[in-house]
Amino acid sequence: MNDKKYWKYFENFNSEDRNLELKQQEFSEKVTEEFRIENLNTLSRRKFLALSTATLAITTTACNDYRDKGAIVPYNKKPENVLPGIANYYASTCTACSHRCGILIKTREGRPIKVDGNPDHPVSKGKICSVGQANILNLYSPERYKKPLKKSGGKFSEIEWQSAFNEILQIFKRANASGKEIALITNPIYSPSFFAVLNRLQQNYPTTKIYVYEYFGEYAKAIAWEKCYGTPNFADYDFSKAKVIVAIESNFLGNEGNFVRNVREFAQNRNVDNPQHFSRFYSFETDLTLTGANADYRIPLPASKHFGLLASVLNEIVTNHSHKLTSNFPKEQLLQFSRNFNLHQFAKENGINPSLLTQMIQELVANQGKSVIISGATLPVEIHILTNLLNEILGNNVLLRSKAQPLIGLNKLEDFGELVRKVNDDKIGLLVNFDVNPVFHFPKDLGFEMVFAKVPVVTFTESETETAMLSNFVIPISHNFESWGDWITSDGDYSTQQPVIEPLFGTYQKEDFILGIIEGQLIRDEYHKFIMSYWRSEIYPNVNPGVDFEVFWHSVLHDGVVNSPAALSSLSKLNYDVVKELTPSISSGGWLLLLKKSYNNGDGKYLNNGWLNELPHPITKVTWDNYVAISEPSAKALEVNNGDILEITRNGKKLEIPVFIVPGIPNNCLVIETGFGRKNAGVIGNGVGFDPMVLADFATVSNGYVFSDVKARQTGKHYELASTVEHHSLNDTFVKDLSKTRRIVQEGTVEEFLDGKFKIHRAEDLRSIIPEIKYSGVKWAMVIDMNKCIGCGDCVTACNVENNVPVVGKEQVLRGREMQWIRIDTYFSGSQNNPSISFQTMLCQHCDDAPCENVCPVVATNHSPDGLNQMVYNRCVGTRYCSNNCPFKVRRFNFYDYRDHFANGFFYQDSLKLMQNPEVTVRSRGVMEKCTFCVQRISEARQKATEDGRPLKGTDVKTACQEACPTEAIVFGDMHDKDSELYYWRNHKLGYYVLEELNVKPNVTYISRLRNKNSEDIS
Amino acid sequence: MENKENRNLYAVGALFDSPNKLVAFAKKLVNEGYRFWDVHSSYPLHGLPKIMRLKWSPLGYVALVLGLTGTLTGLFLTYWTMSVDYRLTIGGKPWFSFPAFVPVLFELTVLLASVGTAIVMLFIIFKLPNNRHPLHDSEYLKKVSVDKCGIIVESHDAKFDYQTIRSLFGEYGASEVVDIYYNEEEIAYKPRVFEPKFIVFLVVIAILTSAFGYLFNNKVLYLPPFDFMLKQFKVNPQSESMFFADGFGMRTPVAGTVARGQRDYPFKGKPDEAGEKLVNPLLSTNDVLELGKRKYNTFCSPCHGWRGEGDSRLNGQFPNPPSLHSEKVRNWSDGRIYHVIMEGQNIMPSYASQLTEKERWAIILYIRALQRSLNAKQEDVK
Amino acid sequence: MNIEIDYTVEPEVVKNQPSHSSVNDAIAAPLETKPSIKYYIALGISGSLLLTGAICLGFSFYYGVGLWGNNQPVGWAIPIVNFVFWVGIGHAGTLISAILFLFRQRWRTGIARFAEAMTIFAVITAGLFPLIHTGRPWLAGYLFPLPNQHHLWVNFTSPLIWDVFAVSTYLTVSFVFWYVGLIPDLAILRDRTQSKVKKIIYSIFSLGWRHSNRHWHHYEMLYLILAGFATPLVLSVHTIVSFDFAVSIVPGWHTTIFPPYFVAGAIFSGFAMVQNVLIVVRKIFHIEHIISLDTLEKMNKVMLATGMMVGYAYGVEFFIAWYSGNPLESFVFFNRVFGNYAWAYWIMVSCNVIFTQLFWFKKIRRNIPIMFVIGVLVNVGMWFERFVIVISTLSKDFLPSSWGYYKPTLVDIGILLGSFGLFFTLVILFIRALPVVSISEVKAVIKGSQPQHH
Repeated sequence: MNDKKYWKYFENFNSEDRNLELKQQEFSEKVTEEFRIENLNTLSRRKFLALSTATLAITTTACNDYRDKGAIVPYNKKPENVLPGIANYYASTCTACSHRCGILIKTREGRPIKVDGNPDHPVSKGKICSVGQANILNLYSPERYKKPLKKSGGKFSEIEWQSAFNEILQIFKRANASGKEIALITNPIYSPSFFAVLNRLQQNYPTTKIYVYEYFGEYAKAIAWEKCYGTPNFADYDFSKAKVIVAIESNFLGNEGNFVRNVREFAQNRNVDNPQHFSRFYSFETDLTLTGANADYRIPLPASKHFGLLASVLNEIVTNHSHKLTSNFPKEQLLQFSRNFNLHQFAKENGINPSLLTQMIQELVANQGKSVIISGATLPVEIHILTNLLNEILGNNVLLRSKAQPLIGLNKLEDFGELVRKVNDDKIGLLVNFDVNPVFHFPKDLGFEMVFAKVPVVTFTESETETAMLSNFVIPISHNFESWGDWITSDGDYSTQQPVIEPLFGTYQKEDFILGIIEGQLIRDEYHKFIMSYWRSEIYPNVNPGVDFEVFWHSVLHDGVVNSPAALSSLSKLNYDVVKELTPSISSGGWLLLLKKSYNNGDGKYLNNGWLNELPHPITKVTWDNYVAISEPSAKALEVNNGDILEITRNGKKLEIPVFIVPGIPNNCLVIETGFGRKNAGVIGNGVGFDPMVLADFATVSNGYVFSDVKARQTGKHYELASTVEHHSLNDTFVKDLSKTRRIVQEGTVEEFLDGKFKIHRAEDLRSIIPEIKYSGVKWAMVIDMNKCIGCGDCVTACNVENNVPVVGKEQVLRGREMQWIRIDTYFSGSQNNPSISFQTMLCQHCDDAPCENVCPVVATNHSPDGLNQMVYNRCVGTRYCSNNCPFKVRRFNFYDYRDHFANGFFYQDSLKLMQNPEVTVRSRGVMEKCTFCVQRISEARQKATEDGRPLKGTDVKTACQEACPTEAIVFGDMHDKDSELYYWRNHKLGYYVLEELNVKPNVTYISRLRNKNSEDIS
Repeated sequence: MENKENRNLYAVGALFDSPNKLVAFAKKLVNEGYRFWDVHSSYPLHGLPKIMRLKWSPLGYVALVLGLTGTLTGLFLTYWTMSVDYRLTIGGKPWFSFPAFVPVLFELTVLLASVGTAIVMLFIIFKLPNNRHPLHDSEYLKKVSVDKCGIIVESHDAKFDYQTIRSLFGEYGASEVVDIYYNEEEIAYKPRVFEPKFIVFLVVIAILTSAFGYLFNNKVLYLPPFDFMLKQFKVNPQSESMFFADGFGMRTPVAGTVARGQRDYPFKGKPDEAGEKLVNPLLSTNDVLELGKRKYNTFCSPCHGWRGEGDSRLNGQFPNPPSLHSEKVRNWSDGRIYHVIMEGQNIMPSYASQLTEKERWAIILYIRALQRSLNAKQEDVK
Repeated sequence: MNIEIDYTVEPEVVKNQPSHSSVNDAIAAPLETKPSIKYYIALGISGSLLLTGAICLGFSFYYGVGLWGNNQPVGWAIPIVNFVFWVGIGHAGTLISAILFLFRQRWRTGIARFAEAMTIFAVITAGLFPLIHTGRPWLAGYLFPLPNQHHLWVNFTSPLIWDVFAVSTYLTVSFVFWYVGLIPDLAILRDRTQSKVKKIIYSIFSLGWRHSNRHWHHYEMLYLILAGFATPLVLSVHTIVSFDFAVSIVPGWHTTIFPPYFVAGAIFSGFAMVQNVLIVVRKIFHIEHIISLDTLEKMNKVMLATGMMVGYAYGVEFFIAWYSGNPLESFVFFNRVFGNYAWAYWIMVSCNVIFTQLFWFKKIRRNIPIMFVIGVLVNVGMWFERFVIVISTLSKDFLPSSWGYYKPTLVDIGILLGSFGLFFTLVILFIRALPVVSISEVKAVIKGSQPQHH
């Protein structure tokens, strides 16, 4: 028998063997016929599965109902030149600070969503600073006042516009009738129309007096100028013509003077294609500023020594070089003054290499008429006078460019003391704070708070301020994007300001209100009419364009700026007698305290702006705070470390503020930035930083912000400072100069470059085991020129605004979760007391072989046909593997829904919804995001190209960062376009890729920085 | 088959204390040529398969086949998804980068091979689960579970003889001999297709799933952050905004402002001047005419008719406009017609906001073409 | 091929020859007697840990993973550390039940069932973490190659996808292996129990097993096949887990030594965990004669061996870092030993390499309290090994500008505790619900239970 028979169950299932079946028949009739063990119960099992799955399938699909996805709301009557989905641009003028740059406001469906520079503007030439760009957040700020407030019984209550107007009108009338003074405090007036308005105000209310001040105004400089040239209206230098620049504590590349123009002109002499024309830049400073960081030679020098420096330089020039000088000057008089200052002695005393100073002087003399000596606004009068002297004898005043005078300039600060006195003698009938915040701005010892109890005070303001809180009336005013205006540019031309949206909160613009006071009734849009009539009668005839006024006005608004034929007053001769009373006003005893203007807060008005607070400090990368910067040895002496709180005392005035150790600051110096520490700034700004103005006294601020004989001691308290980077001491050999050794930053000197000694290090023969992907058509790439990049951070703000980047808040920055898509890395190398600083703009490198793409489990990040490393937000599950695997760590993860998480949903308020860029996805919680090379702009350009029936060109697209960069350091375009600018730079002999040896094939090229210094001086 | 009572005998079984006796008996059965018999013990008795002459288990082959299936499935899955169905450039890798797929292939192989083999054995070879076998709940099986091992000879074996088997058991020193019967009601049991219990069960499932389905598809999926960023915190074109009292997300520019590239129409109310001064910047090329046609059909034809003969499609809601082929219109300059589009005339409203400048001029060229086609002159024929 | 194993010639594993029925009684006892108060206390503790974890998880699900310490450079942190840790724990089980089975190590008989169970529980615990650590856990479905509304498939070049396949396969196969082993025991319980309910349950899960030798015949074949597949599988799983790191380009992760190093580490920590739990179980349920001291000693020997493999791996890593001359690489390792996270590194080295050396001494190998303590230390050490690898590496990589220090939050800790809670709750429930020792296997190796033919 074959084995098969032994099988029982097998045969039942392989049915080819019949004979067993037969066998079973024997029994089956009687016994087992109806019954098979295996078959028992199977039917119900199958039925069960079938029916239940069917039910499940049917029911789940059965119950989908239509879901309302929101109403479609078209225009009732469509405006002629608005197309839904297409942006419009309006030329206007930025009033964020007193420099009146020209801007283009980008609107979508009549809503402003971004601010760019106006390319037609002669001063700002299409660029605008961070504050100007972030200003749009102030426009939409939900914290703006909606209704006038009246204080009664110490409490504010909202009142109607009309009643508020009437009450204030009565106060004006009463004050006028009783012959009491109506004091109107405001910032310098540069608007011809408003000047006219004020004149009319003074005609109708003769007792009106205008008080003008500016927080951190350059008083000392003005005084010095007046002494030298007889006018307080000091001039700017044209840095584009300067071959040698000597900056004394001046931050002209950071926040002094017209930042946009300064950096543009400075960068013009940083073009690696003619290195011979590189300017030579010396900076002597206490603080480590952006300017110092960009200097070829940065010499740390306490502010108390600057006088000595300049005097001995003067002495050296006059004694040894006067024969080479073309300008004529009273040699004896100058020798007389400077005889007991000796350059070499000075160098010895302050540990400066004397040859460096002599070299500097030789260059100054050699380039007389082509060099600039500029001293910082914080310095006292005598130093500015010395600076003017030096520039005069070096014939540098040919580089001076006179500025248009303000129509109403700064008052002497004494006037405000006078004002307070008048209040006390009850000579004031009404005090008007016209969009200013003196309570916060003036040093406390002026006692300005006192006056509020004694006179009725009306404060015009957009949102809460310290001054408003003390006033009797608070009048909400329109934002400048909601207002009309006209201005005189610093070149003396006219620029216009037009509203881009109706007032969001039904406010009036401040000028309307004043006009109302004049005419006795409050009328909306009155100032608009006034400006037009003023231009028709005053400006139009002067300019005389040869077309009728409507056309002229239309074109003016269109361009935003119109040239004025009137020439600016030229410079008079310097009066050399000023040397007679020249004496240093800063003693060098005790700790030296230096107050500086902040980079991003302006006069503190922008402290309530989340974007600006989170924009890292250009040097220390600290966000959401200010601090006292001191050197490492000083910190050791005080036994403090980063974040420990220091108590600073000066004439009994006290300030407690955390320490931050900054390399390159001289010992025993304290540097603090102002504009922080406001009590009533708003939800975001309250309690951000510390207000150092409490240390200043009113009497001396007009003579600069340097104070000696200050005491400092540690309190043992600690405070968390949120910096976006880890800080290591430069003496820490473990991490020393990593940026150089890892070739992240490659730098050389002009000298080496010229005689071909400086070669860029490129990774040799990189091989890949995989075939290279061929891209056809446009392929995007970027080049960043580190010679031009000064590390200001405008690109960061531009990117934030363009790409709906959320604000995360200090506590999240402390955790290391800032969201900015582009960042500026600052690398210190060299010695702790005199480091050399390198900047590097770091953003997604859009690598061809992107390591982030390989590891994403769900292909949420992959490569587009035009070479973009793109994110599919909606596919992302948030494993964060891509971020781990990114060598540049440029990916950002939404650990929270930050709009919701920050300041309990502050950024989820309705008004801010209008600010978002409709073209950019608002990322949800748990999603990875990063720089997209502004893909929305690319597709916009592609759409345009298709419309015009032409192929897309690389030059059609400008990324937000590129558009904002004030020095044109960023170039973007198509790497296949042989004759494009990008192609040229991408293949430049100074170009390199960061971490090239990883062979991820990055698409952002960095042009290595050349320092214009002698190679042996490289630290 | 001769059973005392009329109960169906399944088998006769014997229990042994030690495996050795059992083995002896098993050998006997084999030699006698019995086929339907089995040995039971609560742990595998070694050497027994040899004695029972069981064929070597085929599970190895099963595993091999299933394993290979796994590998191939994996290969197909990776190849088809990555290189055929949805090609993406990922990290500059080729679409079919095999080395990276190996781990997946391996895992799938193991998965299918091991799980599959187990399933084949349990559910196909053994036909488990089966709790209605006559052995269940029998004293015999219970004892086997504890410490005995047993043999049964099934009643439908060809050589089965009740008496002989029992006596054989005796000879081989079975500690105990038992008869095992089929369980009557289990045999009689007929599952009815629709038991009320089961119907209720289905209804419950239906309700639960529909409730869940409804909530999930219509509520949860629209709940941030689960809503796939459907509702975003931004104002898209033509969407409403609760911020403004009027609810319009799209705002109209402030009166008197001038956008970049915005041109004023200088001939407001001066038709004739417009007629003289304005000249058509476009040439009547093909695509210009195409554009003109598209726009004309969209905006003009409802009243002026497809061919501009004034044959309105508004069947009399408005008085029909005059034909565009009138002497007057044909002699009008392009600028003059442009003016009508800009300002409208009689009851025709302005179309300035619907049409861009280029489109206006294109329409005019199209109208010219229409005019020419309808009243062609001799020289047109050439 | 002949799969017959002649157990009889080997030394006995089960002490003092219990009768078959007494084996039944001993192993079924915990299932039939009322649990003591000690049991409830244990359950209470682990349960509350589990609850803590659940709450923390709930919070992080509601508010977002921002509640954890993860930040910009350190995208992966404690959850991933836990994942690798628990997967590692799992490996011992499969090793004991499969590899030792193939090597005919009879001493595995007493502990195999328990070890397998722990494998499953550990892998369940581990498997949670990849899901919950993502930013949008509710989209975990995207990680499987299912057709979806994007028409996108998964990225088979990503180690995370390999993980998905490896871990899920591992879980399934271990489960099948374990369940197949359970069927005969369930049948025994079914025939033994008095309670009706239990009987129904056992009947369902024993699938109506009949102890038929025609079945045993296939059954043993299947067991062999499963063991054969489980062995390469267990090695592949931790290899693939190590690929999560080795395949990246991060210096300190991008290392070829990772696979063997991870597998050794996994077995190391796994054995430590099994040893700890067994010590407790055999005491409580008085089955010292089944899980004998020799067994424990053998486990300690394995730990000694694997521990030294791990130590060797540490050494090699450093040598290569120095020998390769790659500054980035050497920086990373320098940073591990002396950087911010040096403390973690030194915990790791002392626990994993130094303390285990004590197992050279037989006295210590056979001293229950001491071996218990060492076992605990080993697990601490192995957890920190993963901590060092994941976190200290990420916190300092290529660009100094993007370095960042990672601090775990309370929620992180809560979830870590929760994972222990889940694991031990499952273990504790298991020892009351199912036979912790394989009845049929033990019976099979008792003297006289096999026929003496030929």
